[in-house]
Amino acid sequence: MSEGVWTAVGLSSDLEPGAVAGVIVEGREWALWRGVSGKAQIWEDRCPHRGMRLSFGFVRGDRLGCLYHGWQYDETGQCRYIPAHPELEPPASIRVPAQGIAECGGIIWAALGAPAAAAPQYADGLPVRSLYLDAALADALKILPEMGEKISNAPGAAQAVIVEREGDTLLIGGQVVAERRSALHIALLTPPSGPPQERRKLHAQWAARLRLGLEARR
Amino acid sequence: MSALTLYNFDLDENCYRVRLLLSMLSLEAKVVAVDMIPGGEHLKTPLIELNPLGDIPVLTDGELVVSGPVAILAYLARRYGGDAWATPPLYARHVSWLEFAASALPAARQARLVSVFGGRGDLAELAALGRRALRFMEDRMTEYGFEGEEYFAGERTGIADVALFPAFALSRDWGVGHEEFPALRRWSRRFRALPGFRTMPGIPDYG
Repeated sequence: MSEGVWTAVGLSSDLEPGAVAGVIVEGREWALWRGVSGKAQIWEDRCPHRGMRLSFGFVRGDRLGCLYHGWQYDETGQCRYIPAHPELEPPASIRVPAQGIAECGGIIWAALGAPAAAAPQYADGLPVRSLYLDAALADALKILPEMGEKISNAPGAAQAVIVEREGDTLLIGGQVVAERRSALHIALLTPPSGPPQERRKLHAQWAARLRLGLEARR
Repeated sequence: MSALTLYNFDLDENCYRVRLLLSMLSLEAKVVAVDMIPGGEHLKTPLIELNPLGDIPVLTDGELVVSGPVAILAYLARRYGGDAWATPPLYARHVSWLEFAASALPAARQARLVSVFGGRGDLAELAALGRRALRFMEDRMTEYGFEGEEYFAGERTGIADVALFPAFALSRDWGVGHEEFPALRRWSRRFRALPGFRTMPGIPDYG
């Protein structure tokens, strides 16, 4: 586990207010969720009560509820409500540890464990897509220059690159899911070189070709 | 008023597709419980006479008998759905998704039957086919998103979504999570919020 290093875990636009999703980073399961006020959190995907995956749960206001027994956790991770004991103030010891989380460039970045450095900072980004690959992340990052793309490392995050193509600047955050599974979270940094919808679509089509080429190699 | 009867097994996703559409269309139907697993009643008299293929759901509407989930969805939408459901825009795309539901998604249903009910089949192979089908859906929904379309057959929901929803919603039952499918997650959230939506065992109801 790359402890505390900023890693891309999804596109901001794919996590709507009130949504929760599972994320797998290097084989470990996390629950990524966003309260209705808009703040995203990423927690270990396990309810402190019975170990149920919190990503199977539901968001109520700015709390995440567990599907099993409905225990609710506020944005700091503190348990606030236990339906079986509605009058009880849950003890401070029932809490989910917070992880580092930041959003910029249209991408959600997580520092799992204590953040080792300040969060990365990029220009605003428009979503292209998250591309999930049956391939190692290292191979995915290697194929970009082989395809003739002009790439450089994106500062402040692990396995993140800037790609200049077709007059646009793409920010791509890589995520190791497992040894041979990975994701590329692709955003188009503003301003785009033309109508945003068209440019996003053009780069999404490129991403699909990239995956086709990469997975054909296996 | 209609005289609809649905031959149903609560834990089967194909029967769920029909229950879901009945609910979304606010249609009442008499529901006959069929002990599909473990009883195998769908393979015996009288069900086998109703549908000689030996599968459920089966719907009867008066004297009319309609078998198979996609055929039943198409019939109900056409007969009782009003303009919104009966004559969807982007018709070719709409029926393409029905074709997909009938050809690519049975692997997902079978994977679930193997995984949850001990049915026959190679789970790894079926799950790989099911995952491939979900990835295809994810890619198309991503593209539709660029056009501002929120459902599989355009800007409004239709039986394409009803036909596709259960395979995604139940995929964890056969070992494929939702992590890789952000566009389907968002579509699922929209779909779940529609009037008449209902769940089945295995699909959480958040209350």
